[in-house]
Amino acid sequence: MFLNPWSLALTLCSLVVLVLGTVAAKTAVRVLRFWEPGSDSNQQIRLENEIWLSSTLVAYGLGFQIITLILFVLAADEFCQVIVGAMCATGALLANPYGMPALLVKLFGVFFYGFWILLHQLDIRSEHYPLVRIKYLALLLLLPLLVLDVTLQTLYIAGIKPDIITSCCAVVFGESTGGSTNLIVGYSQQGLLLAFAGSIVGLVIVGWGLLRRWQAWLAGLYAAGWLWFFVLSLVVITTVVSSYVYAMPYHKCPFCILKPEYYYFGFALYGTLVPATFFGISAPIAGLVRGRAGLGGVVARYQRLAVQLSLILLVIFSGLSFYHYLKYLISGGEG
Amino acid sequence: MARHNLEKQLNILEYALSSLWRHRLKSLSVLLVFGAVIFLLASFQMVTQALSDKAKQVLVHTPEITLQKMSAGRQEAIPLAYGDKLAGIFGIRRVVPRIWGYYFDEVRLANYTVMGLEVAEMPEGARLDTTLAKGTMPRPGDDAQGWAVIGYSITNALDLAGRDTFSLFRPDLSLKPFVVRGEFSRDTDILTNDLIVMNLADARDLFAIPAGLVTDLCVYVANPTEIETIAKKISETLPGVRVLTRPQIQKTYQVVFGWRSGFGSICLLSALAAFVILAWDKASGLSPEERREIAILKILGWETSDILAVRFWESVIVSGLACLVGMTAAYIHVVYYAASLFRPVLMGWSVLRPNLHLLPRLAAGDILLILAFTVLPYLAATVIPAWRSATVPADSALGG
Repeated sequence: MFLNPWSLALTLCSLVVLVLGTVAAKTAVRVLRFWEPGSDSNQQIRLENEIWLSSTLVAYGLGFQIITLILFVLAADEFCQVIVGAMCATGALLANPYGMPALLVKLFGVFFYGFWILLHQLDIRSEHYPLVRIKYLALLLLLPLLVLDVTLQTLYIAGIKPDIITSCCAVVFGESTGGSTNLIVGYSQQGLLLAFAGSIVGLVIVGWGLLRRWQAWLAGLYAAGWLWFFVLSLVVITTVVSSYVYAMPYHKCPFCILKPEYYYFGFALYGTLVPATFFGISAPIAGLVRGRAGLGGVVARYQRLAVQLSLILLVIFSGLSFYHYLKYLISGGEG
Repeated sequence: MARHNLEKQLNILEYALSSLWRHRLKSLSVLLVFGAVIFLLASFQMVTQALSDKAKQVLVHTPEITLQKMSAGRQEAIPLAYGDKLAGIFGIRRVVPRIWGYYFDEVRLANYTVMGLEVAEMPEGARLDTTLAKGTMPRPGDDAQGWAVIGYSITNALDLAGRDTFSLFRPDLSLKPFVVRGEFSRDTDILTNDLIVMNLADARDLFAIPAGLVTDLCVYVANPTEIETIAKKISETLPGVRVLTRPQIQKTYQVVFGWRSGFGSICLLSALAAFVILAWDKASGLSPEERREIAILKILGWETSDILAVRFWESVIVSGLACLVGMTAAYIHVVYYAASLFRPVLMGWSVLRPNLHLLPRLAAGDILLILAFTVLPYLAATVIPAWRSATVPADSALGG
């Protein structure tokens, strides 16, 4: 179903990002082949200029990818109106096997572009550009991800037939026993909430420890903790938080909270979770390049900042995710 | 640190604003063309949105299931007796026969929609009075014949200002007289503008449909979640009958509007492409003064990234202003001028056009869609020229 404004906008954005990515990759290949830090030849000066181009292009690409990610979910929500049996974005995304993979690739893509930009920012802080080769190797690795993203999205849009019957979220995330189509089922709400709260406390303690004294193993634990917490949060948002937001016990959908009916609450939720996870994971990752010439101080400063930011965002995120739940417990329901 | 960065960005923003002002003719021309492109795309998007919203609103009151008899792939009259066969299906509130057709007026060269109903039998029949500007619908037990309730355009077309009787031709060209007993209010124009509602028997007489036949049967279902099941049961009981459910019709409207809007957007993509080329061209043509300016900035200690930031802010300001102008103009176009530029594309080709009051609801998602369509290509088109201008070597620009 390409003849629809949402499909067209998504395709257009993807093509634009692909073009930007290809131009950046061209620079990457030249840098990998001809980069000579000590030289002052014309070519080296040109390459040093081109570094700016590629980093700007990737930064634009990141911004555009974030927009396409939001657009993709909103488009799925729009598509559900024409797919028989789908009642919200979940149903639309499950209408064919490419929907969910496309969404996940987009989501993880945002993290990878973010890591690349971090690498670039660290690199240009040092006079020697110590990370140039790693950076451009990584850029070349990002390109297949981008192609995969565009391919999955195109396959998804092409595969949407306006009359396929799909299961809607009430079935998909519902609590019916023995249903094989359920994505998320079988966890007790109490258990999940306990794990969620426990993880928050754990992360705060580890983060606090890191701020007091930086230790490599603790940093690794922090990154792993964030990865775990990210996945756990997505599950908790889907199965617990969302139904308190909707005030409907059987409506468990991670996408409808993005809609105006719920005051765009989802944007606040995901808008804190994703950056928090990014900072949480990126701080230890930045530690991997600490030993490079001229980066020691820069990395240490970034790590402190990233851990602080991730902790602040974590606090906001937990406040947001518990808000409806506590409101329900205290006031005894809506209204 | 953060404060320092913020101040730096603010200063760069100020510089970008003053730079735009210095080249105000160039900026204004880009702004106007960009605004026009956004206006076209946004109007299209808003009309589609408003029309599909309207269709959704209107369809809420249609019967849950409509039955039509098909023969050789075409619709034909359905026997009233079919309704009795549905008696065994639980969940059906009522089956109401209906005659529904077009009457072609050879004088006005326009089609009127004629609907013959047993008003008293309809579940909400008693509430139909609320749609009338004057007159009343017949009450249950009122067997009056020869009456008609008409829409606004019909009053004008038949020139019924001073009188309340009119006649329509039967297929054999004999005349059938009607007395107007009500007129639909203008608020329901989208449905009733070209509509003549009459008694079922009168409609049968007008179209010369044999007794015991109607054009379709409306099935009212008590519980909306049972619509699909009941529709399935009906199609099992009555093979050869087309069963249309309300959700299906709703989805079809969505697809049609989406399709038309997509088609329109594709046509407008050429305008967008032309604009992107213009933007690229404007951004890459560097005059000697601009080269000098950048060279001086560099000598003063600006870095490549600072100049890139200036260019970025310039693009953001231009596209932000263009969006504001374009979307406001589009909103005015849709709300106050009923989208007169695009209405023929999105609506039918009927001669009697209803007077539409479209009210687009602009959710954040729709704004994002319009932004993705317009601003993203613009930003992408200006980034490479921006980099070219940012990497002008200081010595060559000043020396030459």
